[in-house]
Amino acid sequence: MKLTVNGITKQYKNKTAVDQISFQLTEGVTGLLGANGAGKTTLMRMASGILTPTSGSVDADGIPVDTEEYRALLGYLPQDFGYYPEFTAREFVQYIAALKGIEKKKAKKKTEEILELVGLSDVAGKRIRTFSGGMKQRVGIAQALVNDPKILILDEPTAGLDPKERVRFRNLIAEIGKDTIVLFSTHIVSDVERIASNLLMMREGKLIYEGAWNEQKGDLEKFYMEEFE
Amino acid sequence: MKEDWKTLLSDEFQAPQPKHKKEFLRNLRAREVSMPEMLLQQVAYVRPSIWLFALALVAIAIVGSLMRVETTVNVLTMLMPFSAAIAVLETRRSERCGMAELEMTTRFSLRSVVLARMMILGIVSFLILCISSPMIAAAFDAGTVLTAVRILIPYLITMSISLLAERSPLGRKTGYASLAIASGVSIIIYWIDNYEPNVVANYLGMIDSWGIMIALGLMAFTAVEQWKTINGVEAFA
Amino acid sequence: MDLEEAYDKIYRYAYFKLNNQSVAEDVTQETFLRFISQKGNVHEYEIKYLYVIARNLCIDEYRRVKADPLPEDYDAPAPFDDRREERMMVREALAKLPREDQEILLLRHVNGEAVGTICKALGISRFAAYRRLKSAEDKMRESLEVNEG
Repeated sequence: MKLTVNGITKQYKNKTAVDQISFQLTEGVTGLLGANGAGKTTLMRMASGILTPTSGSVDADGIPVDTEEYRALLGYLPQDFGYYPEFTAREFVQYIAALKGIEKKKAKKKTEEILELVGLSDVAGKRIRTFSGGMKQRVGIAQALVNDPKILILDEPTAGLDPKERVRFRNLIAEIGKDTIVLFSTHIVSDVERIASNLLMMREGKLIYEGAWNEQKGDLEKFYMEEFE
Repeated sequence: MKEDWKTLLSDEFQAPQPKHKKEFLRNLRAREVSMPEMLLQQVAYVRPSIWLFALALVAIAIVGSLMRVETTVNVLTMLMPFSAAIAVLETRRSERCGMAELEMTTRFSLRSVVLARMMILGIVSFLILCISSPMIAAAFDAGTVLTAVRILIPYLITMSISLLAERSPLGRKTGYASLAIASGVSIIIYWIDNYEPNVVANYLGMIDSWGIMIALGLMAFTAVEQWKTINGVEAFA
Repeated sequence: MDLEEAYDKIYRYAYFKLNNQSVAEDVTQETFLRFISQKGNVHEYEIKYLYVIARNLCIDEYRRVKADPLPEDYDAPAPFDDRREERMMVREALAKLPREDQEILLLRHVNGEAVGTICKALGISRFAAYRRLKSAEDKMRESLEVNEG
């Protein structure tokens, strides 16, 4: 499958959040690096069909981003999300599974599998509001995965995770990336170095780097520091 | 081995592992969920307090009719606006709970989720009306339809204005505009009922001759407002 | 009906019909695609129609397809299997049955379909389905008893 982002721009009244960005992604893990306010979230929202671009288009093998068919392929973790206050982790994932059109029996089975995968099985029946930031983030990752997405878009997925959780998450994403298009944003260079085979870098709404990063290009951390900080 | 052989049959019909099952099923367009199924699904997520409020209204209607409390219909007309306000607040629940962004990226977009919720709450209100109007009508010797119209009019007024208000910039900021409007409508009803007997008489006379037309007109207006709200829920701020 | 479960059932059925792994899988996938294109909006994968489609596809393929060679370890008994003898007996008894009896046993006792589904799938009357099922079961019992005694 090929995800094509074609010249998308998001223009707000006095600011261009994303400026004429184009790229293509295939199966594998792509890291999106950039400082806060670089337009990462806006870009990801457009690629998830939440925001309509001012101009340009997004499609997956020709399926436009604003269709049910595209959303059926999509798993998305927003940078920040809430939950209905009465929800337990299990109910939350099942609810999203239901909205993703997964049949009830299968949704139940899948929910248990996914919660196991993110290491929340033992607290599945607890309310999310009692969870730590890292646990809540894992619930978010779980809901994004529940429909076996072909396109997985994760906005700052490692935010709030402790080091152990972060390692676990990296392994999970590396595994999923084998047959899924994964795009995740971060401002932590080491997240990208470990698992991303492809890299996008944004600054002030523009794409300033695209492609793989390897040793010959030098230290990514250093490059990043020079470019962004 | 009597009937054991049946369990052993499975081994005899075993086929080699299929090789492309997972990819195929993943690429297969998932089945579509029909509207009734969607409604049933969302019914499970309606807050308990909404059911309780609906039950309370029905209870008031039943008890009031059985005990012949004269003011039953007045109390109901004063409470129905809150039922409308709760329904309207429900359209913004996803946003309030931070679920909107998630619900916009699922197959059944936020729009259909909100539509399903509105339909459920509409059905609930309709049921309240269907149970309470005939009971009250029978108890106080009035027409069922006209009683229904009397209960319905404040409900529709509240709902249409609330939908409008919740979409306005001010309504978006406050979050509870609907409840304020419901309280306003309720207070006005109370005031007129108690202090303006002339208005009451005129109003009842008007209901007698024009009530159904007025109710239908309000319904149409409310439907338009609902349509606008539902189309607007995905306008991501 | 869980999609995956339906896939397994249809695949098992097609494999029984064709004895060829890759063609059976092609038939299975084609079955689903045809079902979708026939129904337009898919609210539910109705297993009985899937069987009908699969059965017709198998008939088309049957003439063209060569069965997979049996794997060499096909007969190898599983170690520590205390039911090995029973298994062998069932296998022999089953081999003696006509194909259509085997088919109905597969549908009923392996795939676990209701008789209503089976008669639809095979295009026969409910009565005929009962009769065929009963006769197949009787033959199995008979040959198992003979074998035992």
